[in-house]
Amino acid sequence: MNYSDLLVQGLVEGCIYALIAVGLTLVYGLLRILHIAHAGIFTLGAYVGLLLTNETGSFAAAFVITVVAVGFFGMAFYRLFYEPILDKPPHVALIASIGLFVAMEEIYRIVFGATSISFLAPPLKDTVEVAGVRLEEGRIAVVVLAVVLIGGLAVLAGRTRIGIAWRATVSDAAMAESFGIDLARVRYINFFVASALAAAAGVMVALLLNQVIPTMGGVPAYKALAIIVLGGLGNVKGTLIAALALGVIESFGTIYLDRVLDRDAIAFAFLIAVLMIRPQGLFARR
Amino acid sequence: MLQLDRLTCGYGPFRAVTDLSLEVPDGSVLALIGANGAGKSSTLMAVAGHVSAMDGRILFDGADITGEPARARVRRGIALAPEGRRLFPDLTVQENLTVGGYSRSRRAEARNVERVMALFPRLEGRLTQLAGSMSGGEQQMLAIGRALMAEPKLLMIDEVSLGLMPAVIDMCYEALGRLRDDGLAILLVEQSTQRAFDIADTVCVLESGKAVWTGAAEAAREDPALVEAYLGLAQ
Repeated sequence: MNYSDLLVQGLVEGCIYALIAVGLTLVYGLLRILHIAHAGIFTLGAYVGLLLTNETGSFAAAFVITVVAVGFFGMAFYRLFYEPILDKPPHVALIASIGLFVAMEEIYRIVFGATSISFLAPPLKDTVEVAGVRLEEGRIAVVVLAVVLIGGLAVLAGRTRIGIAWRATVSDAAMAESFGIDLARVRYINFFVASALAAAAGVMVALLLNQVIPTMGGVPAYKALAIIVLGGLGNVKGTLIAALALGVIESFGTIYLDRVLDRDAIAFAFLIAVLMIRPQGLFARR
Repeated sequence: MLQLDRLTCGYGPFRAVTDLSLEVPDGSVLALIGANGAGKSSTLMAVAGHVSAMDGRILFDGADITGEPARARVRRGIALAPEGRRLFPDLTVQENLTVGGYSRSRRAEARNVERVMALFPRLEGRLTQLAGSMSGGEQQMLAIGRALMAEPKLLMIDEVSLGLMPAVIDMCYEALGRLRDDGLAILLVEQSTQRAFDIADTVCVLESGKAVWTGAAEAAREDPALVEAYLGLAQ
């Protein structure tokens, strides 16, 4: 492998991390909840996307349905589990979230079985050459989706009235409410967007690995946590940069750190190093 | 327009305001003055719906709004420029104004932005700037402008002059005078008593959460010592 291969593979990984971590940082920014069960929603997206593809034969249709359906699932999840404990201290929601994540993994094991499931006819497996690098179509799709979905989110947040209301609520919820913004609606939208992005990441990971297992959310759960801390909790731009950086660093790490550090340990080594130098995260504003 | 009827409010077990009765008639200006911790800001926050009433009633245009959420009160015509301004610092000036007018239609928004610009020409040309990057005076103008975007019948302002340069305070008070002349009712919290006496119709002195003196601003203007004496009691 040459450098450009490593860089491109790293950016593809980074796009997946970004799709997962942006939702996590959105939830933290709005509600100060560390939403660990977000990784369980990612896994749900993977299962639903794979099973729908096998059922319908159309990956594209399955993808769209999964992203929307899991988005609504995220809204219901918020309503059922987080809304009743919003006035409790943040560690209550954190503990609830960890418990929910464990429970989700067990439910997937019971419902879908402990062994992996694969696509009957794995889609987007052909390779094409882009700028001298041979890439699977699936990997290109990951990058395109990340750009379209996160770009769409940026337009929503920056250009629309509800997006402005959303950012105002993140900044000062009481003031936002006193000008007529419906906080419950903002929270629902927040969970819809976060969960839809996680589902998109889940389907794409299922596609790249061609398998789905109940525990596939475990590693993304802690990596996404490391990413949003590095990005400055609640800071979306910082999270995007941290996600891409981690993808690239891991990619090069598999060659250069192979003997020293496992690939999945790099995120934490990176996290510890950064927190020792800049405890507020790399991109914290305040 | 606004009537407080033996209002008692506070945070948790702590009472910030006890048995406060006052009235702001249509188109008039009432200044609440008093020392730090006298309950001025709590009164405004209770009227806006951010501090809950423990006892008594808040009436607006004859309707009892004591239990209504903040979101409903802004639609009735109550808007607040709060203590410390509490702008959305990461949002642009235009976006802050958009949030201010969130309870009104999009069409009204464009019209109201023009009104705010006419009132505070200093904000013109700064619509795309982040609110947090402006000077204190400009932020105060934006805080008042943001409240005006809600097309209020009653504007509540907390500490207009705090931390601002005299020239900027003059600009703010000039704007408030124009708003009063246009018929807007204003409930003002102020530590700078002279400025408050000049614009107000009625002055209410609070001490430890209770009204100790209420009277015409003229009386306070003519005999500042009278009010100062009550303020002195509180310190």
